[in-house]
Amino acid sequence: MSLKSFKGWQTPLAAVALAMSATMPLSASAQSVMDASILAGSCFNCHGTDGRSNGAIPSIAGRPQLALKNQMLAFKSDQPPAGTTVMTRIAKGYTDQEIDALALYFSQIKQQAAASQKDPQK
Amino acid sequence: MNKLNRLTRRQMLGVLGKATAAGTLLMHVPMFAQPSAGSVVVIGGGFGGATAAKYIKRRNPAISVTLVEPSKVFYTCPFTNLYVGGLRTFDQQAHTYDELRELGVKVVHDLAQGIDTDKKSVQLAGGASLSYDKLVLSPGIDFKWNAIEGYDQQAAELAPHAWKAGAQTALLKKQLDAMPDGGVFLMAAPPNPYRCPPGPYERISMVAHYLKNNKPKSKILVLDAKDGFSKQALFQDGWKRFYGDMIEWVPLSKDGKVVRVDASNRTVETEFGQIHKASVLNIIPPQKAGAIAEQAGVTNETGWVPVNPQTFESSKVKDVFVVGDATIATPMPKSGFCANAQGKVAAAAIVNALAGKPAAQASFANTCYSLITPDYGISVAGVYRVEGGKLIEVKGSGGVSPRDANDDFRKLEAQYGTAWYNAIAQDTWGTRG
Repeated sequence: MSLKSFKGWQTPLAAVALAMSATMPLSASAQSVMDASILAGSCFNCHGTDGRSNGAIPSIAGRPQLALKNQMLAFKSDQPPAGTTVMTRIAKGYTDQEIDALALYFSQIKQQAAASQKDPQK
Repeated sequence: MNKLNRLTRRQMLGVLGKATAAGTLLMHVPMFAQPSAGSVVVIGGGFGGATAAKYIKRRNPAISVTLVEPSKVFYTCPFTNLYVGGLRTFDQQAHTYDELRELGVKVVHDLAQGIDTDKKSVQLAGGASLSYDKLVLSPGIDFKWNAIEGYDQQAAELAPHAWKAGAQTALLKKQLDAMPDGGVFLMAAPPNPYRCPPGPYERISMVAHYLKNNKPKSKILVLDAKDGFSKQALFQDGWKRFYGDMIEWVPLSKDGKVVRVDASNRTVETEFGQIHKASVLNIIPPQKAGAIAEQAGVTNETGWVPVNPQTFESSKVKDVFVVGDATIATPMPKSGFCANAQGKVAAAAIVNALAGKPAAQASFANTCYSLITPDYGISVAGVYRVEGGKLIEVKGSGGVSPRDANDDFRKLEAQYGTAWYNAIAQDTWGTRG
């Protein structure tokens, strides 16, 4: 859609065109791209938002990319490290390419949130 | 919304889907008149809705996000079984919306009672209406009252379902506390699909834990409307080991299906006419999507909501995204974990759509922990993606804890269960348990 049609969007016809084009890509899933932040979303549910854990499950934010990648590949292997529980079942769900993307994503997050964030404890 | 619009809301719902595409779109013109990053209304402040609201704001703070949730304090269903078992206080399942407000989400404590997906507005019980560019519904479940004869809302005050957290949970706990030693705790377990597949069986485990320590002569009878259940072998191994013959599970094929309930007398009747009497009667009835989903026209003949798994946009109504237990997302279970994961995927898709960009690839995971004793936890996990327009569980991934795991493994999974709860609660509401 050109800028020109944005300017004219208050006319009914242009509004139709705008509304349609804005929703079309949603159905074009065949062309969709991998987004590490979406892959990472599910990790937050146990490892904490942005990979910063508030409990017994290890933090993954800010750890070296290679360490994260190797740990995931170890979990994914048929002989996971001693003491592994659920992670071998989860790691097997990701391609090596996705593991690379996740390792890079979490390695780039600071281990601690900015100081302005309040204490999350109730 | 003006008075005329309010008068025609129901009529508008009636013609939904019959209007031509061009006609429908033309009516949106006034709402496009204000240039902005877009506005999103989220209905339901549970795992799915609160997460969607939060992650839309995190991805693009310029988008206006309003969360509609009647309760000022939200009680999670997950971990209420531990409260029933005496392991936690009820308040440990309580969460509020302060963090969402700090992120700039407008939190409105009101009930959404009507949705006009044609005019793209939400009518609140308090009288106000909200317009949206994109709507997120996270309505949870409702019950099919009277699907079991005699089991309606009044009966639930005597024989609680306790399958929505709140007064019902407290009532079940109160009845369990008042139950005499030697009594029978009877659960009617629901047919598929329902919220939290392992939930009924974790509840049985936690009730057994409480009874073993407090009323050891008591019995637990599970009358099930199906022939198998989540993590079945692990649960049954644990039940036998820790609770001996206290628990009897009766599957559908052994006349386990409850067809009639007499809540005043605490009796149930099964398909083939057996009458069972209980001291505490816990009926978990058949379920469907939360009522507002039906009202919005996004449910199908099953009572649940079909969605495009790439975005969790309704497959029936444009610009309405539905997440959580209300959706048809098989093979993902109806769990808080999945609702949160779906909320994040929908949030990312909405943010992209409002910027005119296509949705990125969806990816989801799930882990559900259940306790059999305070130190004996089990889990089921899954990783999901979209292939050929369908949700699939990634081959070779997921599954349940090994059956031959040792006690250290079970203890770790019990600890990880609590850690999971604290992590996901903080991720969703900003407060831990």
